[in-house]
Amino acid sequence: MIVADPKPFGQVKGYLENFDKILVVGCGTCVTVCLSGGEAEVQILASGLRIAFGREGRSKTILEDTVQRQCDEEFILPILDRVANEKIDAVVSLACGVGVNFFADRLGTTPIFPGVNTTFYGAGMEPGLWAEMCAGCGDCMTAHTGGICPVARCSKHLLNGPCGGSEKGKCEVDPANIDCVWQLIYDRLQKLGRLEELQNVLPAKDWRTASDGGVRRSVREHLYRLK
Amino acid sequence: MKEKEFTQILAGDMLATCSAACPVHTDTREYVQRLSRGDYEGALDILLEVNPFPSVCGRICHHPCEAECRRKEIDSAVSLRMLKRFVVENTKEYRLARQKKPAEKKEGTVAIIGSGPSGLTAALDLALSGYRVRVYEKDTKLGGMLAHAIPRYRLPIEALAQDIGDILAAGVEVRTGCEVGKDISFDELRKENNAILIAAGLSESHSLPIPGVDSKGVLLGIPFLWDVANGLRPELGDSVLVVGGGNVAIDMARAAKRLGPSKVYMACLENRQEMPAWKWEIDEAEEEGIEIFNSWGPKAILENKGAVTGIEFKRCTSVFDDQHRFSPKYDESETKSVEVDSVILAIGQRANLDFLAQSPVAVDRGRLQCDRSSMSTSERGVFVCGEVMTGPGSAIAAVGTGHDAAKVISHFLETGETLKLAQRAVTTIGELPSATAALAKKFERVEVSLMDADERIKTFSPIEPGYSESEALAESRRCLACATGAYLKPLAHCAGCLTCVRVCPFGVAQVDKTAVMPAQLCQTCGLCAAECPAAGIALSRFATNGMKDTLRAILSKSDTAKIARPLVVSYCCLNETTSRKFLGAQTDEEIVKTGILRVMIPCVARLSTLDLVSPIELGADKVAVIACAENGCFYTGAEELLGRRVKRVQKFLDEIGVGQQNVQLFKTDSSAEESWPLIWEQFRSTPAQADAQGELLKEGASR
Repeated sequence: MIVADPKPFGQVKGYLENFDKILVVGCGTCVTVCLSGGEAEVQILASGLRIAFGREGRSKTILEDTVQRQCDEEFILPILDRVANEKIDAVVSLACGVGVNFFADRLGTTPIFPGVNTTFYGAGMEPGLWAEMCAGCGDCMTAHTGGICPVARCSKHLLNGPCGGSEKGKCEVDPANIDCVWQLIYDRLQKLGRLEELQNVLPAKDWRTASDGGVRRSVREHLYRLK
Repeated sequence: MKEKEFTQILAGDMLATCSAACPVHTDTREYVQRLSRGDYEGALDILLEVNPFPSVCGRICHHPCEAECRRKEIDSAVSLRMLKRFVVENTKEYRLARQKKPAEKKEGTVAIIGSGPSGLTAALDLALSGYRVRVYEKDTKLGGMLAHAIPRYRLPIEALAQDIGDILAAGVEVRTGCEVGKDISFDELRKENNAILIAAGLSESHSLPIPGVDSKGVLLGIPFLWDVANGLRPELGDSVLVVGGGNVAIDMARAAKRLGPSKVYMACLENRQEMPAWKWEIDEAEEEGIEIFNSWGPKAILENKGAVTGIEFKRCTSVFDDQHRFSPKYDESETKSVEVDSVILAIGQRANLDFLAQSPVAVDRGRLQCDRSSMSTSERGVFVCGEVMTGPGSAIAAVGTGHDAAKVISHFLETGETLKLAQRAVTTIGELPSATAALAKKFERVEVSLMDADERIKTFSPIEPGYSESEALAESRRCLACATGAYLKPLAHCAGCLTCVRVCPFGVAQVDKTAVMPAQLCQTCGLCAAECPAAGIALSRFATNGMKDTLRAILSKSDTAKIARPLVVSYCCLNETTSRKFLGAQTDEEIVKTGILRVMIPCVARLSTLDLVSPIELGADKVAVIACAENGCFYTGAEELLGRRVKRVQKFLDEIGVGQQNVQLFKTDSSAEESWPLIWEQFRSTPAQADAQGELLKEGASR
């Protein structure tokens, strides 16, 4: 899933100084799971904004809503209607950057601001902790590395590691919190009895499938452009 | 009556096990929860909803509810009978004030023969429906066996009088000292009334067909108890033996002991495990020095010149046959003799139906012929309820049949037809699974000590003290409030994030596509609701939204300018209160004057982050969260989660310019009454202004 962290409150408040009627919109998927943009966070942020503006003697209307996903039109149509009907001045999206963009494309003259910082594709490691697992490079190569991704999980994105910064299985960038992914790959291939595959040097990665190839699209012909 | 916090019947006609076990399905959970919140009057309303004899039941009920209490899987059952007693003993004035007035009369008169719990229950129901009801009692006192066969050390007459007072207030007419068949004929009753209810009970003792039974010194049990209950002192020798092993036999033995004999024995056919008396009754009898001989059947009463000298027994080898029918077998070769001066026979009771002798109502070998499903006899318009119909049973079961009788009689009076009562299939939420119970913390049942056995055998005064207020409140909080826990809101954006699963201390919450908190397992701690990132979990017993509405209402209606500042919203763990001091609703004046607005919550760990921030938004200056004493929480892990949540809110308050010092977590020290005022005083005196107010705001805005 996509992981995001809440933006500092003051930053969000700063975006909204010049607007009177503000709608905070949560997203019911990834950001709910990583506790940064679900309905509870919408309520807390909205309450915080009302308190903070209120203490400055500024009366603003802070409205709340949450949709199942901000990345599909059907789910956000009711919000678009609401923005128009209720004459909302600005929207804060607590979805990942996808939601912010998706709204921005459809919001006409109403500005939208992000309420979270989208960070990575990750997994829940334990309650309250998420870690990066995938970089969305568009050409998955984990078949060669025991299912463990060096692009996302090596601090240097090395395809033929480890580097000299690997010590006792930890990465020198943050030994307390980061495992050396090449140690993990080694251990994993050993368990699988495929250690000899490490003899094969992986060729330089073709980054055209990643962001270097321009804005990416994904098409399913069997449903695309249905009449 | 106030609206119930939670409906008693769960989905699929399911009852909590305690309510299901009660013959009248008392909404046990609701009255205990009301009691725990200090609403004793509301608790009484619940008791009286289905049981006109709560004072009697608070003393002598055999409490089947406790036998089925799910708490017993964790430690021991909640002491429900004692809680009931506490409620009735602490609501006397309210009870008088709420007494129901006679209903507007409608066509139809009913005569009820017998004033025991079944007859009086039916009388009350019918009177409240508007019928003219007259109860005929051969004795001078109302109450049947409750008045005449239960020793006063168990049931003080005042308790019975309290219950009967309500019934009479509702317009039930009574004719005491009027024996049907002697003072008025059954025929006359039929002519005068549209319906008759026979609720005559089992008022006579069986005798034994053994040699010597007519000797001087052999007493029948019920007349003996009658004498004792009416303050007479039946003549007993220095050693007494009671034949029988049921609860009535125990009453007789214990009553006999109080009359002075140096030795009292009991003997019964059953072995210890088979004895029909309740275990606690047996234990208390033995504490009082009563010796019990098990597995002996009476063979002959030994006598000399017509006076009892002893009793001979033969060994009883089995009491019941394969189908568990009463069919005692003896080994005649093994015998035992006990020298005694008096023998009391407590081997069962029967009805006295002599008053029906000249009537067409069918009686076969001393038994009234009746159809139990319609509570009708062979004669149209003549109905039956109570132990005449069911055989020996409990007071509360008799109350149940009284309600049923009122239903069939009302139907008959309205339609002229017989009503067959549908058999209500009661399903329950089932036992608490051991895996869930194992994760729950143990809290000892609050027991009261009976008067010392040596002392109590000297008197017929009540031997059991009631709960003090603090004891009752503490015990009420052991109630698990089964099946009133968390559930996913219908339109929640549940992402299946597993937070509920991870914070549930009982391993109850699961994700099956979306969050699932099975009602039968949930222990109602509310931690899942507090942490749900979708704000999608609601609590059926204590919705935090409801609490917020209350807060909003109070803050909006009070003239906030007059409120003593700083105004503190104090969330308090109500489980820590030992009196009603902080449980009652606050007046506006009190809030304005003290600057403290209390919100009482059964465990403050169920407060969400938003719950902790909202009071500030609504106009309060500070938020105090007063939890239980250290390690006192019912819920494992709740204290840590609450502590972390408060820290998060403190950080947030800093961010929004309010200042972290304005939300604080406190622990109750000793009792709420002693500890909380000190906490409030101290918290209100600390400065509310944030030192670095706005700095974080500016820092954020500049990024």
